[in-house]
Amino acid sequence: MSAALRPVSAPPAKLGVRGLTHRFAIGDSSTPLTVLRDVDLDIARGQFVCIIGESGCGKSTLLRMMAGLLTPTQGHVLHDGVPVRGINHALGFVFQQDAVFPWLTVARNVEYGPKSRGVPKAERERLVAHWCASVGLSDFRNAYPKQLSGGMRKRVDLARAYANSPDVLLMDEPFAALDVQTKGIMQEAVLALWESTQKTVVFVSHDLDEAVFLSDVVVVLASRPGRVHSIVQNPLARPRNEAIRVSDAFAAAKRELWSALQAARQLPAENSG
Amino acid sequence: MESFARSGTLLRRVLRPSVLVGTLSLLGVVGLYWLMALRPGTNPALVPAPPQIVAAFIEELRSGDLLVNASASLQRVVIGYVIGASLALILGAMAGWFKYWGYVLNPIIDAIRPIPALAYIPLVIVWIGIGEPSRIIIIVLAVFKPCVVNARAGMNEVAQIYVDAARTLGASKWRVFATVAIPSAIPYFIAGMRTGVSTGFLALVAAELIAAPSGLGFMIQNAGQYFRTDVTIVGIIVIGLLGALLDQVASRSGRALTAWSDVRREP
Repeated sequence: MSAALRPVSAPPAKLGVRGLTHRFAIGDSSTPLTVLRDVDLDIARGQFVCIIGESGCGKSTLLRMMAGLLTPTQGHVLHDGVPVRGINHALGFVFQQDAVFPWLTVARNVEYGPKSRGVPKAERERLVAHWCASVGLSDFRNAYPKQLSGGMRKRVDLARAYANSPDVLLMDEPFAALDVQTKGIMQEAVLALWESTQKTVVFVSHDLDEAVFLSDVVVVLASRPGRVHSIVQNPLARPRNEAIRVSDAFAAAKRELWSALQAARQLPAENSG
Repeated sequence: MESFARSGTLLRRVLRPSVLVGTLSLLGVVGLYWLMALRPGTNPALVPAPPQIVAAFIEELRSGDLLVNASASLQRVVIGYVIGASLALILGAMAGWFKYWGYVLNPIIDAIRPIPALAYIPLVIVWIGIGEPSRIIIIVLAVFKPCVVNARAGMNEVAQIYVDAARTLGASKWRVFATVAIPSAIPYFIAGMRTGVSTGFLALVAAELIAAPSGLGFMIQNAGQYFRTDVTIVGIIVIGLLGALLDQVASRSGRALTAWSDVRREP
């Protein structure tokens, strides 16, 4: 199903995954667990793609491989059609856990990426001012993370990722630890960033509402082993705002996604190997 | 008006249960000692009563001996501490972070770990003599051990999430070491440095007990030989106060360095 949807020729996708298979040993068991098997995927330039699937389906593993944080057992990741080895510094990553450096102020966190790349100080200050403003943290530039709420720390994380001018943003359930209300606000913040930057986003989630609210395309993974079950186009119009969450179109899109997820769940688990 | 308010807070601080009970507890120990000193048949030269100890303190202060000895000790311990702690933090950080540095340094660190620094005293005396360098070397060794062990442990405990975040942001390996591993290990560095203060002080007194022309260790040893128990007790108390002072300096500078941390502070 995924193969049929992949463009056959055309320019290379922004991010591609080819024949990705990953196994790892669990405990002292002799048969390794297959986490992902033969995953092929193309992420088109500028798209907002969500990856969903039940917990343990390998969606985070897939995302970490796209970033180069993990090396797959087989297969490879393409960035603009070019295979990537090791950590791909052209991508930004927003983690599920709190990854904001607690020993740096908000401003120093945001400039960490540019500073790592040797961006001159004046330009770094401009980036800090711009991205702190974009996530609404201008007044907290000199605060330490411990002085901020969980939602505000996620904003720092987003600003830090965007300030590094990544080509693609990978987000691994970034708002899973937040309360429902903060989560909704953060989703709007991410949409605003995506709309203003036009940068490709790959967003892992286990939350149907989140996937429907954010995505252009949803990749549904089946588990054991993790593989692409289906790719669902999100018909919801843009731009989207908070009100769209209670619309009939939203409910319909969510229902379709729910069915796809159910179908993926009912797929029998296959033997590892 | 303002001074009234200030004395009010001072009074409240003095009356805090921790301060109040703590003071009473100390006074209790002094009182028990006093009772022991006043027991009939006790030789006041061997078990001097508190007023006699206070008098000895004033005498030592007036003659300038106390100051000479205290500053000699302080100088030794500071020199030894700075050398020992710097070496230990650098080597411990390298051993705990860079794999190959660990291969080289870990066996050495683990080999010296169970050996008390005082065990080196005879060797140091034979090799280097009984001069000032020997005393400082013993302090260096005593400070080195807890600092190196803690520094290494701190580098082993760096949260992977910060390393991953820095790497995806484009930080080089060296930059990850300097800007992620070191800062997040600082609480461990501080813990090692605080332990180093007490082990360094222990070694100082031991080194001065053996052979030294000056210092608090020399002072208590010398006074003991002349049955000036009062002076010995004064020396012991000053050693305690100096140690507490150095510990405060270490913990306060540590707190300043880890102001960003939300880890619960010790009371």
